[in-house]
Amino acid sequence: MKRQGEETMSKKAKILLVDNDIDFIDLNKAVLENNGFEVVAAYSGAEGIDRIRSEQPDLIVLDLMMEKHDSGFTVAKTIKADPANKNIPILMLTAVGSETGTEFSQQLDGYWMKTDDYASKPLAPEDLIKKVNELLARKAQE
Amino acid sequence: MAEKANILVVDDERGIREGCRRILASEGFTVDVAENGAEGFNLVGSKPYDLILVDLMMPVMGGLDMMDKVREYDPEIIIIVITGFATIETAVDAMKHGAYDYLPKPFTPDQVLAVVNRGLEKRLLSLKARKLMEERDQHLLEVAREESKSHTIVNSMADGILVMNKVHQLVLWNPAAVKMLNLNGKLEAGKDIGEIIHEKSLVALIDRALLPDSSQYTAISEEIEIKEPEPKTLMINVSVIRDKHGLELGVVSTLRDITSMKELDQVKSQFISMVTHELRAPLSAVESYLSAYLSGAAGTDPRTNRQMLERAKARTHSLLDLVNDLLQFSRMENKRVERKKELLDVTGILTGSVELLKNRGEANEISFETNLPEKLPLVEADRVELEVLFTDLISNAINYNVKNGKVTISADSADHSLNIRIADTGIGIAQEHLSRIFDEFYRVNSPETRYVTGTGLGLSIVKRIVESHYGRIDVASEVGKGTTFTIKLPVKKEQQRASE
Repeated sequence: MKRQGEETMSKKAKILLVDNDIDFIDLNKAVLENNGFEVVAAYSGAEGIDRIRSEQPDLIVLDLMMEKHDSGFTVAKTIKADPANKNIPILMLTAVGSETGTEFSQQLDGYWMKTDDYASKPLAPEDLIKKVNELLARKAQE
Repeated sequence: MAEKANILVVDDERGIREGCRRILASEGFTVDVAENGAEGFNLVGSKPYDLILVDLMMPVMGGLDMMDKVREYDPEIIIIVITGFATIETAVDAMKHGAYDYLPKPFTPDQVLAVVNRGLEKRLLSLKARKLMEERDQHLLEVAREESKSHTIVNSMADGILVMNKVHQLVLWNPAAVKMLNLNGKLEAGKDIGEIIHEKSLVALIDRALLPDSSQYTAISEEIEIKEPEPKTLMINVSVIRDKHGLELGVVSTLRDITSMKELDQVKSQFISMVTHELRAPLSAVESYLSAYLSGAAGTDPRTNRQMLERAKARTHSLLDLVNDLLQFSRMENKRVERKKELLDVTGILTGSVELLKNRGEANEISFETNLPEKLPLVEADRVELEVLFTDLISNAINYNVKNGKVTISADSADHSLNIRIADTGIGIAQEHLSRIFDEFYRVNSPETRYVTGTGLGLSIVKRIVESHYGRIDVASEVGKGTTFTIKLPVKKEQQRASE
């Protein structure tokens, strides 16, 4: 997935995709790569947490419903609890729409950062790129 | 009655006997005569007399003795005493022995008739009174019977019933209510319901029904959750009883335990929410692939684009599979009562399923081996369900296999059961997943399974089919080596013998 050398050579932003649906990983990877991002993928919450440590991504696109209906929250909390990672922006994707939006802020109360956002799934390719760029720009301003 | 009355004349003087007979017979009465008390009493036992004229002084058995016996026999018979000593003493004595009147000797025919008619009138009245009394007793009996009938009905109802008056006192209750509300305390009519019922919400509900502004036809239905001694849900209907002027008399509450209904309801909603998610995921994937293709967001490389369309197609197909599985699910639910079983040859159905899937397997470079004895005992089963069962398991054996893998299908019979094994040389299932693979929508997420599309319902359907045929299914698996599913189906005894 990761070609050696590219990491040090370019200034491409590195994005970690965490989703248990192979099709969303494949598709979002293709879309993001096509727009000049470097992409690494994790297929479960646990793998996602491992990958953050090893890859140090610039942004995480995280699916909410994986093994459990709120696996994404567990992953997000773990990330935010670690001072080394808490500034990595998270784009949370949820297939349950506005309902989960409410639950979202409650569950992540105190963890939620200005650099984080959420969107409902499926997210149109252009919206994904837009959101990712926005969050990276916000992070750069911090 | 007066015309047909039966009269007995008892006197030792023939002249008096016959004189009375003539006078009374001429008035239309039926008259019998006797010479003494003993003879007279014998006649009383043989015929229902309305009135007896009896002389006090007779040989063998005197008038007073006979009167005692007659009264013992039937106190309603009117007795009139004929006496030569018309003194107050004899009259009083006779009255003490139950005489109604007395006739002093000598007497005229008119006197006889007057006394007899008076006596018969009294007889008529007392008979009427007796009849009325009997009727009243009968009525009271019926009322009592009616009461015990309602009591029995109320007590044997599965729904709980509580009745209270408008001042909050318990009036009536049944054992079902006692059980549902766990009313352990001493129940007594007249006790305040607040003391008896621990469920504050129920008391509040009753109070609400009694509120003065509640409409004339109030009936409130509400679900109440009870925590002790075990959690349950009750459906409570509270209605106010009113008199004809619309004034409240009290409240009737009926309680129904709907715990199992609620549980079933919850299982169904959970299932629906899982299904919704499972339907949404492939649809979202397909939509995303198509919009990426149309917008060119994932680039214009024709190979990438073709891959996207192929994945979209695969997900659409899995969506169709899911819909089919859901239909199978609901069919099985409906069949709970009307599953049609026939004696079937499993070998034929297994062979048919292999034939159906052979092409798919060979496309994946998977070979098949069938190991089926010539003659297997027949099993009593639903044909369509057995086809679904074997097709699902063989499909899995193909889908989760490795390149150049093998699927082995074998069967044998032993111990009144038919054993069918479907084994693959595939990726296997890790121990931690084995206990959950039969759960609805449970799928193993690993790099090897990621591209296999499945509905997550196949094995739960398989398990339901096996169990609805009183069989069992076991799974043995080793990661990297393969998985074997073993199905045991019961064989009817006579079948077993026939095949031996």
